[in-house]
Amino acid sequence: MYAYIIRRLLMLIPVLFGVSVVIFFTLRIIPGDVAQTILGTDATEDALAQLRKDFGLDQPVMKQYFSWMGGVLVGDFGESMRTGRDVLPDILNRFKITFELAILSAIISWIIAIPLGVIAGIKRNSKTDFTVRIISLLGVSIPNFALATVLILVLALTFSYSPPVGYVGFFEDPIKNLQILILPAIVLGTAMAGAVMRMTRSSILEILRQDFVRTIRAKGAKERLVIFNHALRNAMIPILTIIGMQIGVLLGGTVIIEQIFSLPGLGQLVLTSINQRDFTVIQGAVLFIAFVFVMINLLVDLLYSYLDPRITYK
Amino acid sequence: MKPLLDINRLNIDYQSNKKEFNIIKDINIQIDEKMKYGIVGESGSGKSLTSLAILNLLPDALKVDQGHIKLNTDSTKDLITLSKKEMRKIRGNDIAMIFQEPMTALDPVYTIEYQLLEVLKIHKNYSKKEMHQKGLDMLNKVGISRSEQIMKAYPHELSGGMRQRVMIAMALICEPKLLIADEPTTALDVTIQAQILDLMNDLSESHHTAILMITHDLGVILETCERVAVMYAGQIVEESTVENIFEEAAHPYTKGLLSSIQSLGERSNELYSIPGNVPTPDNYQELGCRFATRCPFAMDKCYEQEPPMFEVQDDHASKCWLHVEEAQDDERRTSRAGS
Repeated sequence: MYAYIIRRLLMLIPVLFGVSVVIFFTLRIIPGDVAQTILGTDATEDALAQLRKDFGLDQPVMKQYFSWMGGVLVGDFGESMRTGRDVLPDILNRFKITFELAILSAIISWIIAIPLGVIAGIKRNSKTDFTVRIISLLGVSIPNFALATVLILVLALTFSYSPPVGYVGFFEDPIKNLQILILPAIVLGTAMAGAVMRMTRSSILEILRQDFVRTIRAKGAKERLVIFNHALRNAMIPILTIIGMQIGVLLGGTVIIEQIFSLPGLGQLVLTSINQRDFTVIQGAVLFIAFVFVMINLLVDLLYSYLDPRITYK
Repeated sequence: MKPLLDINRLNIDYQSNKKEFNIIKDINIQIDEKMKYGIVGESGSGKSLTSLAILNLLPDALKVDQGHIKLNTDSTKDLITLSKKEMRKIRGNDIAMIFQEPMTALDPVYTIEYQLLEVLKIHKNYSKKEMHQKGLDMLNKVGISRSEQIMKAYPHELSGGMRQRVMIAMALICEPKLLIADEPTTALDVTIQAQILDLMNDLSESHHTAILMITHDLGVILETCERVAVMYAGQIVEESTVENIFEEAAHPYTKGLLSSIQSLGERSNELYSIPGNVPTPDNYQELGCRFATRCPFAMDKCYEQEPPMFEVQDDHASKCWLHVEEAQDDERRTSRAGS
């Protein structure tokens, strides 16, 4: 088990190396002068030259790459070309918000999706099943931003409610923090719920057809025990796969939702940095997102073996 | 004395929005306490469905149309009309069941201990320690030696024979009055089969449990049962003691089944087989005998009128028109001899 985890962590090296190469060199291919973009058209030649020198932009590309990577390897992601602040603390600060939003959305989606999916699976082809399937189809097919905008408008116009502006950390003011995050979390959660619901339904359906379910019923077990202790646990593997992928995507930042609700998350950071050609921030953020994605996948794989003893890692 | 289980004119229908047809017709079976009763038939003959109906575990599309299944323990209960809650009290407790595929009949994600003790948890009120001890004892009784270790194992870590032993332990741990065994040895190696059958025989005697053995294998019946019902296309075609069936089979179908068993030491170039296939329920003959299309002795009457169960000898019934002919022949002979 530990050997497996270590091997998986070692696999991070080629993955992150690949990501770093791709992001670094694609940024360098973008036409236009970075210094000019950052300093604006009014900048003097001297100022431009100074900026190029500060960030090594006048050096050969390979040399730029290695000096950046050299820093990353010792935990120095460099400074923002725009603000001059260290990149890593900025990323981590933004990630806190994105992380909280992702977890909150995931919880909302499970609360909706898993019970409904189970019910739909048990009562296959009933009216309940039909309704649940329509809801989940809506969840999957309504675009996030549309639902978000409608939600904001309805709350504002009908109930004269609008969430507080300006992000506050959970530990500073939990209530205000939740007020800010709950709407985007509902929007993201319902979208995630659609897919999870469909997977739960089909997975439960498949498990209920299996022989061991009949054995448990033949023992005199209540339906509740059959469904929750046995069927659902067996059905969890594919559900977990979907959930893991969804959370991985969310942790990379949700650009549109963060934009609509003006949340200073990771997605927003990447977007503004791209607009401003803030190379060091983009590179750092992309590398960080890739790292998180791989870690989530590892966590999901480890959960598999916890849920199903037939899956072991050596 | 009343039989332990009395199945009386059991009929099972398939019902969907589009179609409805009969699958199991007029099944009558009486099983006394401690009796070992066998139902034998090809796949598709309805023997498994009959056994599932006893515990009300039929698939959703199948419904008991009429009939009674009476269970006589301390009181008499009709299992057909029982509420879900009362049915649950009987499952695993009064009547336990083991299934054909030990590979898939256990939940893969729980330990043997959890699944073995689950049935005790449902029906009895023991402390954790008592339950654990009961589990170990039961595993020992089914011939599992390293019981502490096996308790902690998961189903995929055991062999097929071991899993079937665990299934038997699970079925008998609440000391049921009746054990339904649906093809318990079909999926096992031949050498293991005999061990499992012996084990079931021994345990049923020491626990005073009656057995309803469902199988397609006449050898299994011969080895374990006292009485047997031969099923074909959802009906019982012959019913008697095992000796009668093996020595004096009356129904053409039973005779066919018996001749398709290859006896050891008897080498013939060709294996006997009954021509044709078991009809599917939507192709059952409306009138007449359901076996007529495959029967070498079929007469016109067989396609027109359903034969009743004839008492061919004491305690031996067969569902075939031939017996009437024979009786008439006998009568003619006796009257001729008399005149």
